This record gives sequence, structure tokens and C-alpha cells, in this order.
Amino acid sequence: MYGWIWRHLPGNALVRALISLVLVLAAVFVLFQYVFPWAEPLLPFGDVTVDDN
Amino acid sequence: MAVTERDERAETEERPRPSRPTRGRVAATVSVLGELLITAGLVMALFVAYSLWWTNVLADRQAGRESNELRDQWAEQEEGDGAGEDRAPADFDPKDGIGFLHVPAMSDDDVLVLPGTDPEKLNGGIAGYYEKPKKSAMPWDESGNFTLAAHRDGHGAKFHNIHKIDEGDPVVFETKDTWYVYTVYAKLPETSKYNVGVLADVPEGSGKTEEGRYLTLTTCTPMFSSAYRYIVWAELERTEPVDEERTPPEELRAG
Repeated sequence: MYGWIWRHLPGNALVRALISLVLVLAAVFVLFQYVFPWAEPLLPFGDVTVDDN
Repeated sequence: MAVTERDERAETEERPRPSRPTRGRVAATVSVLGELLITAGLVMALFVAYSLWWTNVLADRQAGRESNELRDQWAEQEEGDGAGEDRAPADFDPKDGIGFLHVPAMSDDDVLVLPGTDPEKLNGGIAGYYEKPKKSAMPWDESGNFTLAAHRDGHGAKFHNIHKIDEGDPVVFETKDTWYVYTVYAKLPETSKYNVGVLADVPEGSGKTEEGRYLTLTTCTPMFSSAYRYIVWAELERTEPVDEERTPPEELRAG
């Protein structure tokens, strides 16, 4: 999978490494900005109140 | 001759081929699966970092900004007293912040207190007073229970060290004009999340039987989970007017 991506990136090794880094950072950004905030309330770690339902 | 030779060579080269695609496919599938598992592990590690570090960064930033807004607003009202009176209600945007909670046993920082205990509110790095299932009393009410909730981990983790609070420890609530000094008299290290009795005017399970001016802190326990709730109860000891320098009461100076 990662090998396939690497082979399909343009440029020489250095360019590919830089593009890979950008892709990794973009993935982390999407996770922190959109995926985790969405997933967090679905997981039972952050309920701090007492409630009757 | 040459043709046969070439054919033979082509044949010998081709011979391993028939088995190759299947082995290649299996190998490729296994390697993709492996890479997916490694990726899943990394994503989970990132989620831990997000929960325990990044949400704190965001929440502390937001709470710090809102705390400053509230303190600025207090200062403004103090200065232009007469004029401020009229302006105050319309301006009251620092999200209806009613004051700051100080618990020296838990943390040196003060905690901004805002209405509501919805996750979106508490995620702002604040403590919220209950509006449901039972509406909280206010510290300045004649009697009742001032009930608060905040996060144990992540999102500011304002009640992270709730387990360090002992009976007899002071809990101080600061409003614009008054210090409300409470003393912790009971705690419940583990209770069901359905135990709404802890929020009653006379908190159930705290040992009190008469109406009074109580304060209840709730958060989740054990750490890093929401299986149970941790409750701390305090009772109002006395109130002190806030002076011009906002000198804290002695309970806060000691620490």
C-alpha cells in the first residue's frame, strides 16, 4: 500500500520524501481537526456528569 | 535452431510464472493488511495524544481567553460603576461566567465556571454548573446545592486531581464581589453515573440531613474512563467581600 503510493509519487527520492511528509501531515491534520472530534463523543471516556438516563 | 532456442528460453523463463501471480497476490494482501494494522495502531496512538494533550491545549487556550474577558469585564464594571450598571446586561457576553473556582488541594489554577454541563460547554476547559437533571443552586442563594462538573482528563482536565481533595480542605468560589469559602466534609470516590441524588439540595449520601449551603463537585473515575463518578461535597463556611486588590482569603494564601 505504502509501496504503491511511493511508486506512484512523481520526482526523485527527495521530492517523493517531501511529498510523503506533506501527505502524512495532511492526514494528521484531518484526523485532529475532523475525525477525532467526531469520534470522541462516541467513545465512553469523557462523561463526567450524573444523569438519569 | 535459433527459433527453438529462443522458444526454450522463453519457456524456462515462463515456467515459474504460473505460481507467481498467486503467491504475489497472497503476499500483497498480507502486506497491505499488515500496513493497515500498523496504520490503525498509529491512528490510535494519535488519538491518545489528541485526547490527553491536544484537547487540553485547545481548552486551556479558550478558557484562558474567556477568563480574561470575564476579569476585564469585572474591572470595567468596577471602574464605571454607575454607567457600567446599564451596560452590563447587554455586554454580558463572557458566556455568562459567574466566577472562578479555587481548589488549592487540586490545582493552583482557578477554574472558570459557566452554566451548563453539556459536553460542548465542558470541552471549553471550564467547570459547568448543572442545569439538568437538577438545576444547581447558586452560591448566593439562601440554601441549596451548588453543583459543578468538569473533565477529569482532556479538555483542560480541570478536575484531574479531584482524588487529592481531603475532608477539611477549602474550596473557594470567587465572584465579582464575594469570596465564598467552603470546607469539604465528605466524598464519594466511586458511584453510579445514575446517582442523581448527589445533586439534591440536601445531597444524598453525604451524611447531611438538613438544608444548607452546599457545593458538589462531580467528575468521572477511574482516570481515563467514564465507568463511575467521583463526588466531593463541601459546605459553606463563611463569605468574604472582595476588596479592591482582590486579596484572596487566607485559605488561598496559605498554598
